[in-house]
Amino acid sequence: MSSPIKRRRDGRYVLRLDANARVVLANLAAQLPEALASRDPMVRRLFPPAYTADDQAAAERDYRELVDNALVNHHTHSLETVVATAEADSLSEEEFGAWLDAVGTLRLVLGTRLDVHEDMDAPDPQDPMATEYGLFVFLGELQYLMVEILTDDLPDEGRPEGAI
Amino acid sequence: MRLPSPRRWRAALRGGPTPPTSAAPGRLVPGGVVPPETAPVGDVGTIVDQATTSDRPWLVIVWNDPINLMSFVTFVLQKLFGYSKEKATTLMLDIHTKGRAVVSSGTRERAELDVYRLHEHGLWATMEQSG
Repeated sequence: MSSPIKRRRDGRYVLRLDANARVVLANLAAQLPEALASRDPMVRRLFPPAYTADDQAAAERDYRELVDNALVNHHTHSLETVVATAEADSLSEEEFGAWLDAVGTLRLVLGTRLDVHEDMDAPDPQDPMATEYGLFVFLGELQYLMVEILTDDLPDEGRPEGAI
Repeated sequence: MRLPSPRRWRAALRGGPTPPTSAAPGRLVPGGVVPPETAPVGDVGTIVDQATTSDRPWLVIVWNDPINLMSFVTFVLQKLFGYSKEKATTLMLDIHTKGRAVVSSGTRERAELDVYRLHEHGLWATMEQSG
């Protein structure tokens, strides 16, 4: 089966997603900016520590002060782009990048809530978490296909400065 | 998003110029080492110790997490660091099987920028000084 995501000759991306999936995605994306703005505990996974050593607590506070607003703005912009373009026939490269970011962000939030771990079995359909787990799996499939397309466009070379 | 150069990244996020306090004596900055301003003459040992501490590179580490897809982690390492698919895949598998891998190293500012870019992409990244 061919991928439901294509990169057109004009550089725009086309996603074959049904209307229901688009509504679900837009609804999920619309809910998160408020949680980000209020730093709801459900979004804590989006703010990992940079410095973890005991003697680097001051550096970590400085880092948080420096980046947290930028992280909130970055993810909020991506989520708002998804809401604004959920019904679009095609996406610009920048919009497609925003979708990738938003899908990844939603997966991290849902996955943290579901306490996802490797080799986890799908919950029983009667489980109250089953619907959310279904969304998590859907977002994973979408992310996989988006990454597949974007990886094809990357140059397969390079050892930049600072590389190990 | 356009990425600022390492030396400017803090200023870009803060929306202002880099505070001069970031250039500590003995610390490597673009163009050379910041000369110590207040070290007394003859106190060479202290200066050498400071230089040695700030010369040790900072390591950027990505930790295994159960949520991010393996292909996504590989893609992010290729995109951010320009690694080949083979190199990025090797690092991703190290992260997956060993729990962590060093993905870049350099000055403190450089490492902090790399950590921030990895955090933007949802990867669990930290930094620590080598040695």
